[in-house]
Amino acid sequence: MNSSVTGKKEYKFSEIIADPVIKERFEKVRKYFFLRESTYDMTHRCNVRCEGCYYFAGEKQFAEENLDENSWQTLLEAEKERGITFVVLAGAEPSLVPQLCEVCYRTIPLGAIATNGLIHIPLHIDYKIHISVWGNDQTSLEIRKAKDMLARQIVNYQDDPRAIFVYTFTPVNIDQAREVTALLAQNGHKITFNMFSAPEGYQGHLRHDPDTLARTRQTMTELLLQYPETVVYSHYNIVAHTDPKGLHALYSCSYPRRNPLSDIGLGRSFRQYRTDLQWDREAACCVPDTDCDDCRHYAAGSAVVTARMYRHASDPESFKAWLDYVDTYLAVWVKDYTKGQNLCDRFIAPPSAEA
Amino acid sequence: MQNDISQTTIRIAQILINELKLDDVTPETFDPDLDLVDEVGVDSMDLATVALVLRDEYGIRIDEDDYPKLTTVRIIAEYITNKLRSDD
Repeated sequence: MNSSVTGKKEYKFSEIIADPVIKERFEKVRKYFFLRESTYDMTHRCNVRCEGCYYFAGEKQFAEENLDENSWQTLLEAEKERGITFVVLAGAEPSLVPQLCEVCYRTIPLGAIATNGLIHIPLHIDYKIHISVWGNDQTSLEIRKAKDMLARQIVNYQDDPRAIFVYTFTPVNIDQAREVTALLAQNGHKITFNMFSAPEGYQGHLRHDPDTLARTRQTMTELLLQYPETVVYSHYNIVAHTDPKGLHALYSCSYPRRNPLSDIGLGRSFRQYRTDLQWDREAACCVPDTDCDDCRHYAAGSAVVTARMYRHASDPESFKAWLDYVDTYLAVWVKDYTKGQNLCDRFIAPPSAEA
Repeated sequence: MQNDISQTTIRIAQILINELKLDDVTPETFDPDLDLVDEVGVDSMDLATVALVLRDEYGIRIDEDDYPKLTTVRIIAEYITNKLRSDD
């Protein structure tokens, strides 16, 4: 639809990046376009069992566990050879197999580990550490069956520059995000936000509805404004992850499970290895076995929204919003990357595919 | 038409060289049949950037779904030429 129909000015890309602030941020994030991720289930064991855990949905939990360091070394070398530059180690719980995490780190030194934070991962494994938080300690006890989780996580990762806490909003813990963020701020930690995304077939009370999405949006906005030094997020992250439509409906998911294209981008490079070091294109996704229509997961958005640069290069505000999202993604996932101040401080509607 | 495609090919090579900072090649020596992904190392984000510059230069929209088809400079030149023709 052209501008004579919409009444909206059409911008050239060169006009958008003529703004020196936009240009500087674009050049900053552009240096990281070389990142190519794949993910790896390190073990099928975990020291807590959370309701709604995606790992224990589907078949992957039954894959045989390979603990042989040489096998992992061979796999990671092959991954590096085919162009993978960033690894995401997940699980069940990677902290239970630090020797395998170390093998990965020695071969591909950029990456992140998703952990429940109850066991400290040795400092020499210098990946970003994503510590999952599902509410205050009372809620964690109910949902994760573990006592004093947040208190233990804070102690375990105090003054650890690798650490960032990932607060997963569910319908039952929205208000608790305030006390958790305040506590993390007091202790000098960083926090980013995730959305509970239902596993396939999940019918429990943690699935979001329009009301809980709206309340989550309001709470995230409050916290972003109140704790700018602690909360690693942006207005556009809030838009993308709390819209009634999921990420796939808004942006078209670029992971192989929903993306038939195998020539370029994630459809070409991304693999999700199970604990037996096998992978399946039909299941390859950052959060396999999630109900794609309900997916608002932060890890999915990191790739799905980021990949849609072209759509956001329609006007300066949309492009600023996209840059904020990418800047946030890099600050969450890449160690030593420092997030800049957000460029767009209001809600921008996601672009349509035809925009 | 052959000349148009040839000129377009050189211009696209120039844009690629500028955007991807391929310092060791000139537009005239850039092999237009190199596979951009396998042989030049272009990824989807690089291609998105190049697509935006091409959008400015030629006033055409490059559909995201078409990215995988744009495998060489020559193919991009043909794509643009066809787009411009269909817009006439």
